[in-house]
Amino acid sequence: MASERAGFLTQMVEVFTSTVSFGERLNNMVHLLARYLKVDLALYFGLDKAKETLVLNISSQGPIPPHMRLEFPLGIGLAGEAAATRKYRVVHRDQDGVQEANAALEKLNPAYHTLAAFPVADDNFLYGVLLLMDRADRAITPAERQNIQLACLMLSSTLRQAIVQEEAKKRIAELSVLFEVGKALSSTVELDELLERIVSTTAKVITARGAALHIIDGVSKEIQVSSRYGKIPAECPALPALPAGAGGAGEPPHFEGQSVDSEGRSHYCVAVPLTFKGQLEGTLGVYDKFSPSGEFAPFDPENRQLLYTMAGVVVNAIENALTYQQVEALAEKNERMVRNLTTLQEISQALLTTVQQDRLLDIILQGLILEQGLGFERAIVFMVDETTQTLKGAKGARRAAAGQSVSFRALLAPPSGPIPVADWELPLRADQGPLALAVLRKQPYHYRQTSQEPGLPASLLGKYAPGEFFVVPLVVKDQATGVIVVDNQDSGRPLESEPLHVLQMFATQAALVLENAHLYSTIEANNRELLLIRERMLESDRLAALSSLASGMAHEIRNPLVSIGGFARRIAKTVEANSPLRGYVEVIQEEVTRLEKLLREILDFTGENLSYYGDHEMAKLIDDTLILVQRDLDAAKIKVAKEFAQMPRLHCDDRQMKQVFYNLFQNAMQAMAQGGTLTIRTYPVEKPDGLYAAVAISDTGGGIPLEVLHNIFNPFFSTKDYGTGLGLAIAQRIISRHYGQIEVNNEMGKGVTFIVTLPVAKYCLVKDVGQEAVPASALKAPKGGRR
Amino acid sequence: MKKILVADDEMSIRLLYSEELKEEGYEVYLAANGREALEVVEKIPLDLVILDIKMPEMDGIEALRQIKEKRPDLPVVLSTAYGEYRQDFATWASDEYLVKSSDLEDLKAMVKRHLKE
Repeated sequence: MASERAGFLTQMVEVFTSTVSFGERLNNMVHLLARYLKVDLALYFGLDKAKETLVLNISSQGPIPPHMRLEFPLGIGLAGEAAATRKYRVVHRDQDGVQEANAALEKLNPAYHTLAAFPVADDNFLYGVLLLMDRADRAITPAERQNIQLACLMLSSTLRQAIVQEEAKKRIAELSVLFEVGKALSSTVELDELLERIVSTTAKVITARGAALHIIDGVSKEIQVSSRYGKIPAECPALPALPAGAGGAGEPPHFEGQSVDSEGRSHYCVAVPLTFKGQLEGTLGVYDKFSPSGEFAPFDPENRQLLYTMAGVVVNAIENALTYQQVEALAEKNERMVRNLTTLQEISQALLTTVQQDRLLDIILQGLILEQGLGFERAIVFMVDETTQTLKGAKGARRAAAGQSVSFRALLAPPSGPIPVADWELPLRADQGPLALAVLRKQPYHYRQTSQEPGLPASLLGKYAPGEFFVVPLVVKDQATGVIVVDNQDSGRPLESEPLHVLQMFATQAALVLENAHLYSTIEANNRELLLIRERMLESDRLAALSSLASGMAHEIRNPLVSIGGFARRIAKTVEANSPLRGYVEVIQEEVTRLEKLLREILDFTGENLSYYGDHEMAKLIDDTLILVQRDLDAAKIKVAKEFAQMPRLHCDDRQMKQVFYNLFQNAMQAMAQGGTLTIRTYPVEKPDGLYAAVAISDTGGGIPLEVLHNIFNPFFSTKDYGTGLGLAIAQRIISRHYGQIEVNNEMGKGVTFIVTLPVAKYCLVKDVGQEAVPASALKAPKGGRR
Repeated sequence: MKKILVADDEMSIRLLYSEELKEEGYEVYLAANGREALEVVEKIPLDLVILDIKMPEMDGIEALRQIKEKRPDLPVVLSTAYGEYRQDFATWASDEYLVKSSDLEDLKAMVKRHLKE
């Protein structure tokens, strides 16, 4: 017996350590056991994955045909009992309940009498149950029991090894997949290709018939990426964008679906979400797992786990790709900025080469339209006309054929495609569209045909009507002096947002140089005018000096001439008609007359009538004159009321003007011998031919009697009296000589107001002289004299 | 016999005028400046005064003003080498303004007119 037992154990150990497959080893062990124990049948029931059911795996009679399949739930039958209690047990058919509980076994061996069940387990796990059946009514000896338990340990150990090896194989497979994917990730393959690889690999590893990846934009809900592999059954429910709701509590979110097609075949799918940091959302899903039987099987949690791993890889890959794209975009933007700054600097340099507005406009346009400049297709500069409050086309150009020489020199050449803009004009009002608004609000505008804002005014549309354009104001010292308008109308290429930024920088500089050019030309014009004035002043100075010299000489000569001529005439009277002296005296008389005539002509020419004109404050002239009459005013108890307005100076002979005021004051005082108020008011008067200064001098003397009124301005010579008539006549003469007017406003019973209006001194003597020097007194009228 | 005063700082002019006027039958008084002229006006009941403007000590314009103050009825004629004094309102107080000429017919006609002969 002992040798038999030793042989059995030796054989068992040989099988246990053999290198055949685990299945073969288990099979052999069960057979050996059956032979050694001499039982009819030895069976091994394995515990399924759910650990709920014992399934017949091995029989000592050979392979199990499908109809012989047998299962015991845990706790049912002797096998289920042994599994549940983890204790061996031996029963006999005639014992109570044995037959009923183990009825299923009868299809294997209908005539069994003895049943023995041994759990196959190690310290941690229960793997299954060994069941022995025999027709005889027999017992298990303690030695047999010991051997059986030993065999069971070997079985469990073999099973353990099998499981471990299976898991190790799976891990290796997964790891190799991840390694492949990782290799792909770090290689330079395109994102699309990479995602395709991930999807296909996922399907292959899970042994799914199909796999799909969807990524959508979380905001717009548009599909950004989509990758498919294999066959995706139409019967499968569509994968939701974000399967967050699926899955039990504590489980990571996932989606599982199952459907049956028309042929009765079941289809399965499982999907996990792709979680991005940003706004993207997506799913990675697999469909229809192949099973060894050829049917499609549901996916198990391990598959899901792998799916999560792959989803993580996808997210990483996409995020890396996005980061890379961002970095690339940034680099490109920087490069563009550097290029733009270089361009601006080159244009700046070109702009410094001139101060002529026309040349500057050429350079500005070239900078706007050249390929190496800002690269717009058309550019137009409009300038503000302050006097008419309009925006006028200054210059425009379109890009000529592409592929021109790209150099700094090109900026200095005039544009080859000028646009005639001289008659382009629009009023500076808010209702005139973006161009006028750009000036009025000092803001750039990006106009598109589709935008809601009003477009260009009808006056311009016939000449210029692009669908999209930029308009940037030219602003200097917070003053918009014009606008730059650019478009890409010829090609229809949309205007990007970056050039607007550069365009604004460009416009700032363009505005500055144009303003400089404007200032320069103003200074030049002023300088020319000053030179001219200086020359004329020198000329008039020379003339004045010559005049005074000639006039002085003429006067000195006139007195002696009068004596010579006068006495010659006296001599002539005493000389006999036939005396030879007669002829001599006549010669003297004639020569003197000729000289006197010459003197008159010289004096006429040199202007002996020249008055002493200068620019004077009217208020000061009045105040100076008031001082002269102050004593008389006080004596007559006359109060003075003055209302002087701020006024420009008068161009006048101050002595004569004072005489006018003196005479008018005298008049007033004579009228108010019993006291009263002298009111003097000055104020400006706008007349069609220019600005006048007015003085109103009023008395409270009761007015002028009507019979005298018409006579008051009569000339001095008509009366010997030193009264009213004389003073007013003088005043009137002086005033008319100053191209002014005197009026009288007589209010009987109250008083008289004399109103004197005089043109203000707005002109400078030299400007009015024109080509020839003319004395101020010779000017015919204020209109001609003032400009 | 009408009495005429001739005031002129030029001796030759005084001589010429007095010779001519005496010949016309007038009694002629002479003065070399405005101050002398005023003295004569005060002493003699004159009928006409002929005044030069540019004279030392007192010019003709001031003399004219004072004469007109003392005797507003006495005609005063300004006789000068200068035309431009016509612009000076002060000369407007005179009864006539003459620019000197070697032809004295104008002067004599004027004298006749003022003396209402």
